[in-house]
Amino acid sequence: MSAIHLNSLVKRFGDFTALKTMDLEIANGEFMALLGPSGCGKSTTMNMIAGMEEPTSGRILFDGRDMAGVPMGRRGVGFVFQNYAIFTHMTVRENLSYGPRMHGAPKAEIDKRVTAIAGLLQLDGLLDRKADRLSVNILQRVAIGRSAIMEPAIFLLDEPLSNVDAAFRAVMRSELKHLQRQFRQTMVYVTHDQLEAMTMADRIAVMDHGVLQQVGSPLEVYNNPANVFVARFIGSPGMNILKGRPAESDGGLVIDLGPLGVTPALPAELAAALRRHDGDVLYGFRPEQASLVREGRGLSMAVTFVERIGARTILHLGEGEGAVKVVTDNDARVTVGETLIVIPDMGSVRIFDAATGRAIGGR
Amino acid sequence: MSAASVSVPEDSVAAVAAAPRGRDEGARLGFRLTLPAQVLVLFIAAFPLLMQLYISVTDWGPLGGTGWWSAWRLWNNFANYTDLAADMRFWHALGRTGLVMLICVPAEFLLGLALATLFTGDFPGKRLFYSILLMPMMVVPAVAGYMFFMLFQSGGPVNDILSKFVGHPVTIAWLSDPNLALIAVMIADIWQWTPLMFLILLAGMVGVPEDQMKAATLLGANAWQRFTTIVLPKMKAIIIIALAIRVIENFKIFDTLYIMTGGGPGVATETISVYIYKVTTQDLIWGYVAAIALAILIVLSIVAVFAMKRMVASREVRA
Repeated sequence: MSAIHLNSLVKRFGDFTALKTMDLEIANGEFMALLGPSGCGKSTTMNMIAGMEEPTSGRILFDGRDMAGVPMGRRGVGFVFQNYAIFTHMTVRENLSYGPRMHGAPKAEIDKRVTAIAGLLQLDGLLDRKADRLSVNILQRVAIGRSAIMEPAIFLLDEPLSNVDAAFRAVMRSELKHLQRQFRQTMVYVTHDQLEAMTMADRIAVMDHGVLQQVGSPLEVYNNPANVFVARFIGSPGMNILKGRPAESDGGLVIDLGPLGVTPALPAELAAALRRHDGDVLYGFRPEQASLVREGRGLSMAVTFVERIGARTILHLGEGEGAVKVVTDNDARVTVGETLIVIPDMGSVRIFDAATGRAIGGR
Repeated sequence: MSAASVSVPEDSVAAVAAAPRGRDEGARLGFRLTLPAQVLVLFIAAFPLLMQLYISVTDWGPLGGTGWWSAWRLWNNFANYTDLAADMRFWHALGRTGLVMLICVPAEFLLGLALATLFTGDFPGKRLFYSILLMPMMVVPAVAGYMFFMLFQSGGPVNDILSKFVGHPVTIAWLSDPNLALIAVMIADIWQWTPLMFLILLAGMVGVPEDQMKAATLLGANAWQRFTTIVLPKMKAIIIIALAIRVIENFKIFDTLYIMTGGGPGVATETISVYIYKVTTQDLIWGYVAAIALAILIVLSIVAVFAMKRMVASREVRA
């Protein structure tokens, strides 16, 4: 086990900056997910931690020890590749014993370690099978076992579930989480799938365009997004964002959304923070945290599309910049073209600066 | 058998009977479609082979005045084959061919492998060196023969360079020394065919999955360990193909060699192909030539079958 510190890490490939600057502390034994769309720099960060790529500047520390110049084979890092990179010309046993064999461990010790790890990962009966005809969950276990046998301080996983079909992902997620509890290693998990990050990680580092956007527990990131990108990226569908300007009214501070009308009054705490702020703002609320009525005070919008996903129905309302989504019951009787009143739950409303995208009055 | 078939239900018998009829129809169509190709194969492969077999048991020659079809009149009771068994010139030529093969093919393989390893990395001027390296392969073997004939003259560039190194004039008569001539011929062969080996092995090496190499590195394997545990096993099939191609081609070594030494001095560089050529054009005993060629065909076929078996086996492992 080992803590990881990334100090002003920068990576450029020629003119392209993959990682602008990254400061991140990952605690001992923590499961940290690096989450972001493709090209956000998450894999680059991971490759630098593993030593596959050299940082352009900045430092990587494992328990305070600078890793600059330490080759990738000597960092005590276990790496699980996106496609597992199993040695297909070997048996499962040969795959598992690869690391110790390359380090010249005595045969008796190798056998002992292989037996132990195979028992842990339930690979006992498969040891002498060729590794080229294994199912994907066994491949995952072999990949983890092959790294785990080296007892690495840190485990890095590069989108290990992206090649797995959706139905099987849930199984793999719980298996992976279970394995992490067993090994108690520091784990860094790169993914573009928020569901994987949300369900498995202790903390999530959300990244975009080579910049770290927010670090926090899954619920923190969901409830209190630091900026508009995180608000839109986390959640499915993401947070609704509408442009407007603050205005005083009888009930307190509201946001004037122009043609869409005026929002319900903001909570006192948020209103107080907003009164200290100048200029246009972005009004955000979660699609799951809004109610729909036919009559009342709220945002009056026309239904443009009814998306039924079984358990719930996602209503698309409004058009262009004023489009929002609202999640409602599966049997909602709504027709396209109908006009409804959207009332965001008071507690779920978040306000962002229109110019910088940063959250205002965040907790 | 008959008792058992009585109990088979009626409809399944009908189904079984219907299947072969369908297959027959398909087979007949297939036969008709491939007929032109089969006729062609008959004339370019089967017919010459049968003709060779026929002539090889006679004393027939082109100057005997009889057509090859009436060669049966010259039936010699398998004398060609018994002569062949006792023909020391043949056996020496065969041994020499084997010697050349045993030295040239491994040398070309190791050089090709080393170069391929070098070219999977990056270094300045890589593209230029790549083009230069492939050039020998494009030279017509006969022209390569003339090049090396010139190079190895006693007043030629090879001796000039050697003189510079040892500090006094060197006048080795490469091509007229019975031992050195064979070495000169082998150097020419290695020069010309290492590029092919390099090209095939490079293609195989590039195909080794990069992530598996990285995984090996992360597990602590050094460059040599990665080479022996990942690269070589993954390249097994392609290595067998490369070796098989060169073994078969090298066995037939002729053009370069014939132009450099003509098989001489004496018979010092006479390989199987050169020997056959001489018997064909100088001695004109074609019945005997046919017997030699058949014997060699059998030897090469055995090599090819062995190589194919290994290749198929290793492909199954990889699949």
